[in-house]
Amino acid sequence: MNPTRKKRLYRVLVVFLFSISGVSLILYSLNSNLDYFFTPTELKSVNIPSEKRIKIGGMVLEDSVKRYGPEISFIISDYENSINVVFEGIVPDLFKEGSGVVALGFIKNEIFYAEEVLAKHDENYMPPNLDLKNDN
Amino acid sequence: MIIEISHFLSILSTGLFFLVGSFALTTNNTPYTSNLISRTYSHAFLFLSSSFLIYIWLAITDNFSVQYIANHSNSALPTFYKISSIWSAHEGSMFLWIFFLALWGFIFNIKIKNAEILKPKTMGIISLIIVGFLLFLLITSNPFITILPIAPLNGADINPVLQDPALAIHPPTLYLGYVGFVIPFACSLAFLINGDPDAKWEKLVNKWSVSAWVFLTVGITLGSWWAYYELGWGGYWFWDPVENVALMPWLAATAFLHSLSVSIKSSQLRTWTILLSITVFSLSLFGAFIVRSGIIDSVHSFANDPQRGLYLLAFIAVIIAASLSLFVSRLSLIKPSGNIKTFSKQSFISINNIFFVTLIFSVMLGVTYPLIYEYLYDQKISVGAPFYNAIFIPIVILASIFLFFSVDSKWSRSIDFRIFTKPIVLSLFFALTSTFAIYFIFKTNNIAILLTIFTGLIVIIRYLIEVWTALVYKKYLNVFSAIAHFALGLLLVSISFNSLLSTERALNIKINEFEEYKDLTIYFKDIRVRKDSNYDAIKAEFNIKDKYGNNFDLSPEKRRYFTRGQITTETAIYISPLRDIYLTIGDQLEDGSWIVNVQINFLIRWIWFSACLMAFAGIVLIFSNRKSNI
Repeated sequence: MNPTRKKRLYRVLVVFLFSISGVSLILYSLNSNLDYFFTPTELKSVNIPSEKRIKIGGMVLEDSVKRYGPEISFIISDYENSINVVFEGIVPDLFKEGSGVVALGFIKNEIFYAEEVLAKHDENYMPPNLDLKNDN
Repeated sequence: MIIEISHFLSILSTGLFFLVGSFALTTNNTPYTSNLISRTYSHAFLFLSSSFLIYIWLAITDNFSVQYIANHSNSALPTFYKISSIWSAHEGSMFLWIFFLALWGFIFNIKIKNAEILKPKTMGIISLIIVGFLLFLLITSNPFITILPIAPLNGADINPVLQDPALAIHPPTLYLGYVGFVIPFACSLAFLINGDPDAKWEKLVNKWSVSAWVFLTVGITLGSWWAYYELGWGGYWFWDPVENVALMPWLAATAFLHSLSVSIKSSQLRTWTILLSITVFSLSLFGAFIVRSGIIDSVHSFANDPQRGLYLLAFIAVIIAASLSLFVSRLSLIKPSGNIKTFSKQSFISINNIFFVTLIFSVMLGVTYPLIYEYLYDQKISVGAPFYNAIFIPIVILASIFLFFSVDSKWSRSIDFRIFTKPIVLSLFFALTSTFAIYFIFKTNNIAILLTIFTGLIVIIRYLIEVWTALVYKKYLNVFSAIAHFALGLLLVSISFNSLLSTERALNIKINEFEEYKDLTIYFKDIRVRKDSNYDAIKAEFNIKDKYGNNFDLSPEKRRYFTRGQITTETAIYISPLRDIYLTIGDQLEDGSWIVNVQINFLIRWIWFSACLMAFAGIVLIFSNRKSNI
């Protein structure tokens, strides 16, 4: 190999190595920051560490909403399995019993501590993975 | 009848635009052909704009035999919202998008002389893109479909959260930004097709690109502001997929403007600039695809129609494939013009571009990864703020440090690099002292925030020194660059303080009672029901005192709209220079008390102000007479 080519090869290699390490850093940080989504039934079959942030989705079970001051507790259910949820703050306008909801938070002792409760700006919104009829 | 005329005019313009496109790309430049192309384009635009204006007229006059207008407008709406109802849903906003696309082309057509060798091909490419979108409109999402024979009397109602002045101007501004990048895109392709390496397409598109960038910046800022006070999101940025697909073209466009400045000045980075111009426009189209296809859940996703998504995806694929293969086949055209010297301005801008591309790649990954993941593993995931923070904070800090040192650099010269010049030492000293002061006053151990404040401050102070030396010693100052980068510094500092100091709390409060939160004393005066023409509302009245002696009333509301039964929360915000007091009201509890959410948002106005200042910098450049400065 002549010197110019050698130089060029080195340069390409350096650029290549930098890009590879950059991309793997990004992918690493992506993988450690993913929020997995589960329905209450799917939750039964997986083991989730208590510090892992996840999303759960389902229906707000009828007659399950209770308020203690600014704290609210309710049950998210897919009518097969369900989980207790605790949240502090104002729930979205479209939050009501018997309609779909998605919550972001942590599981601790079988209770889901929600940091965020999401409802879409769409009356007909259904959480993913649920094939239930929304009849309200 | 008038509906059919509007419909027919848009079909006619499709044909005419197709003629312009195919003719321009298959003929050689002669004064006669370029004249012909220019004139035919103007006629095609005349037809399209007449069609669009008639459509606006139909909306103003409540012509509810048009299905789209019947579904999205109402006779009780003020005229302003009747017009904005056109872009409140899919078909109409696509129509607006196409009109703007053609409008940019039209203004370019008027402003640029026919003798410009790149003009005919540029007009041709713009025309073909318009044809692609017009076919999309007419085939998959026709806004002209009529309800016959009996039209509904009053129409429907537009979504109440969309009845807002900010929202009425936010989409048009954003669209003007998105589609404005068709000019640099078409020009760079025209440059490649023409095959004359000496054609200066970069100089030609400079101000056009900056204009589009200004619209994009303002559009994103308006959207952020609207989500804050109308949607009640209570913050300025949420990494929502639709925010992300607007951020990507903005990042790409900003990188493109930097790279463009190098190509204009010294003919370096030309391949890179062309590639970026293709990237910016592709990302704009990608944004349209994400929003229109409903492939990702978001407040913005309209109807979920696979056919639309598929058409757009195919269209984007064709555009990207065509432009990239053209790019590769003409790569030899662009002669390399010498290596970039270390520590020259060009070298700093190249580094900046690498940072920008990394950011774009990360956002793209965050937006598309959930789709890929679900396809591969049948598991739903989402990517939230933690990922974006992990990427953006270090890269923005690094990029700002490079920016700080680049101020001393010169075009095409590698200066003997001295770290300790007077301005650098001064800025470092002041920024370091202030950061330490902040560290002791606010007792924070958040290294990321302190570093961001520090880098923001060095950029601010460094540019203030530049302005000062320019004023006192009459040294040359690039005003555009100084304002834009000063705004960046301000943005970093405002965002840091916002995340450092802002707090929120849900309170539980009864009528005639006081609650304390931080330095606020909140008194719940009254709550009552009030009726309006199209909704009834619960209106709470609070009186708030803070430690600075301010005393003000805030009245958040909860509304229920009759036509849709939709419930919306109306925030009440007290605005002061340093902080917003942001109140929303929730439900009533069994003991008669109400839940009230109180947010104290620090420096949030400064965040939007910084963004507007960046846009203002762009306006300064557009109206400056210097030909080639960035």
